[in-house]
Amino acid sequence: MGGQSRLFKNGRIASADSPDLREADVLVDADGIITAIGPALTASEGSEVIDCAGCLLVPGMFDVHVHAREPGFEHKETLATCAAAALHGGVTGLVLMPDTSPPVDSGNLVKSAMDLVSEVSAIPMYQSGCLTKGREGKELAGFSGMAARGVPMLTDADRTVPCPDVMRRCMEYACDFDLLVTSHADTPALSKAGAINEGSVSYRFGLPGIPAISQEIAIDRDIHVARHTRARLHLQQLSTACGLASVRRAKESGVPVTCEVSPQHLVLCEDDIQDYNTHFKFNPPLRSAGDVEALAAGLIDGSIDVIASDHAPHTEFEKSSDFGSAPFGASGLETSVLVLYDRFIHGGMFGWDLLIQRYSVAPRQLIGLEPVGIAEGAAAEFFVFDPAATTKITRDSLRTKSPVSPFFGESLRGAIRGTTVRGEWFP
Amino acid sequence: MSELTPRKDLLDIESLEREEIEYVLENAAPFKQLFQRSVKKVPTLRGKTVLNLFYEPSTRTSSSFEVAANRMSADVTNFTVSSSSVVKGESLLDTIETLQAMRSDYIVIRHQAAGVPGIVAKHTGASVINAGDGYHAHPTQALLDAMTIREVYPEYPGRRVVIVGDILHSRVARSTSTLLNKLGIEVAVLGPGSLVPAGRHDFMTRLRSWDEVFDWKPDAVYLLRVQMERQEGQFFPSIAEYHKMYGMNSQRLVGMRKLGAYLMHPGPVNRGVEITDEAMRYERSLISTQVENGIAVRMAVLHWLKPETDKD
Amino acid sequence: MDLSKRQQPLSDTGDIIQEEILSPEGIQEATALVADAIARGCAGDDVAFLGIYTRGVTFAHRVAALLKARGLDFPVGTLDISLYRDDFDNRGADLPRLESSDVPFALDGTRVILFDEVIFTGRTIRSALDGLMDYGRPAKIELAVLIDRGHREIPIQPDYVGKKIDTDRDQYVKVQFHEDDEDEEEGVFVVKKRSDSPQLPA
Repeated sequence: MGGQSRLFKNGRIASADSPDLREADVLVDADGIITAIGPALTASEGSEVIDCAGCLLVPGMFDVHVHAREPGFEHKETLATCAAAALHGGVTGLVLMPDTSPPVDSGNLVKSAMDLVSEVSAIPMYQSGCLTKGREGKELAGFSGMAARGVPMLTDADRTVPCPDVMRRCMEYACDFDLLVTSHADTPALSKAGAINEGSVSYRFGLPGIPAISQEIAIDRDIHVARHTRARLHLQQLSTACGLASVRRAKESGVPVTCEVSPQHLVLCEDDIQDYNTHFKFNPPLRSAGDVEALAAGLIDGSIDVIASDHAPHTEFEKSSDFGSAPFGASGLETSVLVLYDRFIHGGMFGWDLLIQRYSVAPRQLIGLEPVGIAEGAAAEFFVFDPAATTKITRDSLRTKSPVSPFFGESLRGAIRGTTVRGEWFP
Repeated sequence: MSELTPRKDLLDIESLEREEIEYVLENAAPFKQLFQRSVKKVPTLRGKTVLNLFYEPSTRTSSSFEVAANRMSADVTNFTVSSSSVVKGESLLDTIETLQAMRSDYIVIRHQAAGVPGIVAKHTGASVINAGDGYHAHPTQALLDAMTIREVYPEYPGRRVVIVGDILHSRVARSTSTLLNKLGIEVAVLGPGSLVPAGRHDFMTRLRSWDEVFDWKPDAVYLLRVQMERQEGQFFPSIAEYHKMYGMNSQRLVGMRKLGAYLMHPGPVNRGVEITDEAMRYERSLISTQVENGIAVRMAVLHWLKPETDKD
Repeated sequence: MDLSKRQQPLSDTGDIIQEEILSPEGIQEATALVADAIARGCAGDDVAFLGIYTRGVTFAHRVAALLKARGLDFPVGTLDISLYRDDFDNRGADLPRLESSDVPFALDGTRVILFDEVIFTGRTIRSALDGLMDYGRPAKIELAVLIDRGHREIPIQPDYVGKKIDTDRDQYVKVQFHEDDEDEEEGVFVVKKRSDSPQLPA
């Protein structure tokens, strides 16, 4: 791979350790290894010089919650278009959710998924496996086979395991393989056919609501089961202040639990939903302004470990249905960094170090990978970010196969100029 | 002549200005007066077509629109779609395409999903009139309710209306209360806690018993229909208990008479559930006036909206 | 009246008065002419007046008052013909306000005299005839106008005319009665419409 050395000139290097930026040139050899970092480096003959004046070099992000839709739903997204979207958003690695068709619930299916990834994906992707067969919440999936194929986590992806007994057995059995149990916490008996946070907005729209307690009860249940079984638990897509408080208490009392939040839940609330715009339909739903504030505080104080986009592509046609019938989710890989820069880093709410910690370092550590940093001798996995530019989010500005985003029409501060990984440069 | 800008569609009450509401209500009166003539028809919409598109069966509302359109000399096509066939095959956008080809000037639509009339309106030049979408809105019902209240209380601001029943699932409660609030009429609600959601409109004062209702001194009591078919969960123990707790009966009629309060209901009435036979004969019942006003208001709405069909 | 001093907007629509056709006194004389003619032709008949909303109603009331002074008592009704107009599609940006027609007498077998302030193309009267017919079947319908300005587009002629004037097709004749136009001077004027205003058929 590669075959081209590159010199990134005049940039400033961001890191997880400090909010300060280091001005330096970065030389990457033909194998994609950083050979030198320092002032006024010169390029050897034949290498490409990329002028990064005014720009930042930021370690590649890692997204532990991505629905790439292949196999089974290639009309929404494929591994190739998903990789293109990830690179376009500064993401250089990700975890694939197992809710494909068929669902990935055995070692063989993990293997075929990983084979496909190595054929078509420009970036590392790790296939997670199901907790239960067919994601049906009844029988345990083939844990040992999947563990042998190196699954980073087990999850029924967007579905809770409804029966507490089944969840208990999943966690007990996962301990035998030291597998991370990941839960999309929800109480189906409460969320039912809900489409939007239950409250004044759901009342005004006349849409069935999803009450906050449907996630909060499930978070508490899973925490109690994890406490009881000592399984490692990761909670996906926190959405309420109360749910976050439960996670905080659990961590304080030593339960091995981590959790994630998405950019949309950090910056959008139910009041932002206008005119039945289905691009704002998420599961869990966008909650109240108070919840958004609490989640941002939790991200900053470390109660929330990880940022994950829940990249969930659906075609524009599927999203053109009425709000109640439209599927949950939107494309997120390409907008996450931009949104978080625009809403937080630009205004000084937190620095690049925190973003890198929560969206690059911690997610890799969560599944046992080494963090990537911009250092001599390390593989070059970073993106070039121009803070002076703006990016207008439109259907044509996205590279995902299903351009659907609640940020359409917004001009976000900052622009990602390109991403390098595995010795390749993707402008 | 007026400064109001014409509208293409009537989708909800929320987006209406008070002046627009009053404009429609004032125009409805001359339409109602036509009903006294032996010739009840006017030629205003001669050559225009009205498509009555009902995804949920509702003989009453669809007939009311049909009569209104007929009395304005429009050609009416009734199109009732069984929801099962919709779920199976045709998508909403495909349906809209078909509707476009029919070249209707007005589309009256009822749909079980909130927001569908708005989607149709965006994709067609025809004027779209929401005849009820999910739990969301039923704007012509709200207008006919307001017309009915204005007739008995010409000085309506400051009057009080209490809405009784399933506030959670009722698009009538949503639209009518919003409209009354816009007209300066106070709104309270009475119903079981499981059907009076915390997220209801801020201006909906919650009353907890008929005693509290009569102490609040309403000028009208608006009974909602108990949607037996919508009881997907157990919101109250039994119909009998609902009737006992919230139904209009002879004992509560005493309180009504004492106040001189009017009685309203969007129909169709479940006798013995939200209202007894005796209460149906209450001298200050406006229920049949509401039906008559429904036709007048719908004529005024057809007269008000301006299709952009030439832009198709 | 010195018209040179009136070269200013007459109303908030920005119309400019070009010429005064009838003064208040002139309106009185023309009204009296119509009343005389009706008195001559209708005495003893079962007659009812029907004014076309708005100024036709005022005109009808004025004629009725003159006749009442002579002992002839004719009831006056009102007719709003908005719903009968043939230009509903061209209503432009204005939202028409409807009025309740008020026909406080049985039309069947009655001799009805329709009143309007101006007859121009005749289309308004055609609409009024359609509307009137939906209220009943009069024995006879006649038409009284204050002003006939010509330019008929359909074969409808008035039976009683206060004053006949020559106008250009694109001019606009405006009648102002103090009952209807409180802030304006009474009179009949030829008015130049603001160029961006739509042509209104009188």
